[in-house]
Amino acid sequence: MREHLLQSSQTIGIPLTNVAPSAVEQDDLLLVAASKNGDQEAFAQLVQRYQRLVFNLVYRMLQQYEEATEITQETFLAAWQGLPAFRGDARFPTWLYRIAYNCSLKQLELRKRDRALQVALEAERILGNASDEQRENAELDAHDRQLLVQEHLSHLPTKYRIVLILRHLQDMTYEEMAEILTMPIGTIKTHLFRARNLLKERLQSFNHESDMG
Amino acid sequence: MRCKEASHKLQLYLDNRLTIQQIRTLEAHLASCNACMEELTIFETVVNDLETFKVVAEPDDLNVKIMRRVAIAASQRNTSPSRFSLWHPSLLEILVAAALATIATIGTILQQSSIRSMLPIANGHDGLSLAYFNMLHALMNVDSTALILALWIAGTLLGVCITLIFAGSEMRTQWFKAMMERLPVR
Repeated sequence: MREHLLQSSQTIGIPLTNVAPSAVEQDDLLLVAASKNGDQEAFAQLVQRYQRLVFNLVYRMLQQYEEATEITQETFLAAWQGLPAFRGDARFPTWLYRIAYNCSLKQLELRKRDRALQVALEAERILGNASDEQRENAELDAHDRQLLVQEHLSHLPTKYRIVLILRHLQDMTYEEMAEILTMPIGTIKTHLFRARNLLKERLQSFNHESDMG
Repeated sequence: MRCKEASHKLQLYLDNRLTIQQIRTLEAHLASCNACMEELTIFETVVNDLETFKVVAEPDDLNVKIMRRVAIAASQRNTSPSRFSLWHPSLLEILVAAALATIATIGTILQQSSIRSMLPIANGHDGLSLAYFNMLHALMNVDSTALILALWIAGTLLGVCITLIFAGSEMRTQWFKAMMERLPVR
């Protein structure tokens, strides 16, 4: 995998909620208007601004670097083609996130149907189990636990994974998540609480097994 | 506060969705309940682990790749025919359409008896009119079932012809090929 991790202190670089949102939104509106008129330079600026945000969302959903690269491209292409229909009811990043989420879901569906990939994933899972055994023998430190949470995250149902990603990796509010996923806030809360409970239970059982070992 | 209620509030607490009063009540419960305190610790561990996930850098050439695809899509959009220019009629098609329109117009005009009487033909006394009335009379004497069948066949053929004229040459070629393939003898 050719992924490059940035330092944890490095932010995602996109001011979604905390850094002068009105100025960014204003700028987005201008760039979107220009892009609608066919200005590719303006759209390139939007891509530059949001590509990391979109890429990380897609990557956390799909867990595969190359696939995430492809789906990020498809997301922006779909955004470009869908710009005439973008009326500005939602903020541009919200709309873009919705496209990225839908593209990721579509890819997950395709992946399910792809038998060859299923076989590859199965092989990867077997290898993963082998590394689990090795890890059980080693001392569990904070880094290992993070890996564990990451692994459990990838095995959660999609509807739970997406809310955890949006809430804790993209620092979004319930309202923003509801807008992106087009779900009521109550449903968002239910999914988020269940997702965290599942991760908590898995971490507890892992801790218990470690104590027994 | 009971443990069940506290357990639900813990998640809202993590998301900063509690009022100051609710936070105080929860913290008072946590101070006296080890089980809920332990649950909070585990939740915080999960959340901290999630939030310390490192940001993954996208490929360096991602922007270039995206814009390349956008440029291709834009050029395709520019070169693709618009909704209103899908049909490019040939000269023959224009002539047939003009002939049909002329026939329809003449038919409408001839229905007006005042106009018809001014014309040297089709005024009811000339040869053309007599031929027309004779033909009409002959048709009236024909068996009605046979007449309806003949009219139905003629109408169908006319409909097919009009459809093919307006469908364009490409569609006509495809239709012709499909018909030839279905013929029992070639």
